[in-house]
Amino acid sequence: MIGVEVDELTMSYRVPVRDGGLRAALGSLVRREYRAVQALDEVSFRIEPGEVVGFIGPNGAGKTTTMKILSGILHPSSGRVRVLANVPWQRRSGFLKRIAFVRGSQPVGGSQELTVMDSLEYQRLLYDVPRAAFGRALTTLEELLRLGPLLDRQLRALSLGERMRVGLAMALIYQPEVLFLDEPTIGLDVTAATLMREFVSDYVAQTGATVLLTSHYMADVASLCPRLILIDHGRVEYDGPLAELSARLSPYKLIRIAARGDGDAVVHELGEVVESSDGLWVLRVPRDEVARTTSQLLTALEVLDLAVEEPPLEKVIDRAYREGLR
Amino acid sequence: MIVARTVQLLGFRLRQEVLEWSGSWWFLLTLVVQAVVAPLNGLFVWSAVYPDDPAIGRYYVAIILVTLMTESFEQHTFSERIYDGTISHELLRPQPVVIGVLGTNLAIRAWLTALGAPVVLLAGFSLSAGFGWWPVLLSLPSVALAAVLVFLWTFLLSMAAFWTDRVHAVVGFGSQLIFLLGGTAAPIGLLPDPWRGLAGASPFWGMNGLPAEIAAGDPYDGSIAAAWGYQLFWVVVFVVAVWAVWRAGVRRYTAVGS
Repeated sequence: MIGVEVDELTMSYRVPVRDGGLRAALGSLVRREYRAVQALDEVSFRIEPGEVVGFIGPNGAGKTTTMKILSGILHPSSGRVRVLANVPWQRRSGFLKRIAFVRGSQPVGGSQELTVMDSLEYQRLLYDVPRAAFGRALTTLEELLRLGPLLDRQLRALSLGERMRVGLAMALIYQPEVLFLDEPTIGLDVTAATLMREFVSDYVAQTGATVLLTSHYMADVASLCPRLILIDHGRVEYDGPLAELSARLSPYKLIRIAARGDGDAVVHELGEVVESSDGLWVLRVPRDEVARTTSQLLTALEVLDLAVEEPPLEKVIDRAYREGLR
Repeated sequence: MIVARTVQLLGFRLRQEVLEWSGSWWFLLTLVVQAVVAPLNGLFVWSAVYPDDPAIGRYYVAIILVTLMTESFEQHTFSERIYDGTISHELLRPQPVVIGVLGTNLAIRAWLTALGAPVVLLAGFSLSAGFGWWPVLLSLPSVALAAVLVFLWTFLLSMAAFWTDRVHAVVGFGSQLIFLLGGTAAPIGLLPDPWRGLAGASPFWGMNGLPAEIAAGDPYDGSIAAAWGYQLFWVVVFVVAVWAVWRAGVRRYTAVGS
């Protein structure tokens, strides 16, 4: 059984529009105008069970809309979608108990007066989790997400990072097989974001869950997703390994070198220097010239340290967003 | 099995919502005031017209209580969630969305009834409105059916939020129909023809006036079975309408980006 199967998924809708000013506002009372928005345009991809896939694209590309359709919130205009062999928007109870959709912008829904423990108990009831399994899952989540100090706190009193941890706990207490994570680290500090990434990675390793992750933070994508789907203007622009995308978009690599003495002239001769300071240089060289350039640097300079790096993923993706892949 | 689970989920949701609203008692008080103003107006006007008729006082005291026990605010609690996209949380849960809506509805009604009880008692004592035990007991199923009817009517209109952003106007219009034809503006027996006939056949009388008339013991003179049958008929009509509109509405739901 395929985890997620999407064929020629299309979604369009109308949004009301009007000019500014009182006259236009009054006019809209009797005659409303709409503009058609093409959110998704024949999107197709497949995700095998246990795969972790990064779903990236600029704002308004159609990522969240796709996730909403896959989780059953929205009905598409056309196309075929199966998640765990179910049609998501039929929203059958058995299907909803096997998936989770966690949004960084709204990690925790429902009553904000409840304590975290009460909310988890509600999830247990809602998802028919046997008490023994609930206890085991709670113990694991307490440890992985450091939930202990939060259990007796009310939801409304939690900070953003705490809400995200609780949101993940509420989503995972019933051990879903497919996880849709929409910007799970948005607004989190470095420590909280790292914790979140480690947790998702551990969860996938332990349960074999299928994950589709959107994030604007490339650290999330780089550390969790061997495969990327890049979407822009509602169309899939790239679907494949992260490394391949990097190579395709950036035909250069970076050589970071530290050397004793004055090597400035040598370094400038061998490649394009993008950074330099006190015996440290970063050179940008074509991928097929990396070996030769490295060898020349080692011969010509008294090298203290040398590293060959891929260009930062942020820059690669930024270029893909701005210039496209075609 | 399904019924037991539904009751369990509804009970848990009701507990949540009662707790949630407990922090807003001052706001609930304003809702109580808003709910009792119209029946009090009717009481003052018709008591002045028929100063010697004790049934008018009893009727309006009952109307105040029925109004408090059947108030519905789905245009705020449900429609706003469509507008801001938070209804998505409910759509992801493996339970009918209506359970959440119903839980909120019952919690608000419980609070309004509790907070409005002093107003009802005060009005009853000041008017020396004596109620018989038997009519009050007989009215209870009718009050329950009225509560179901008002909920279904308001929920039905609130689903207009799937199509328009003017849901408050739509529900406001529906509330005015309840006020005019339901027996709050005037007991429907006092309405001129053909309004009396129209009101008596409409679902609105079953939402307010009928249970109040049964509780007051006057002027309702039909059989109780006929009264319940009339209310049940409208419940079935509204359930079918709610089901159909929900199916169409949820297909249309497009809270993009929320």
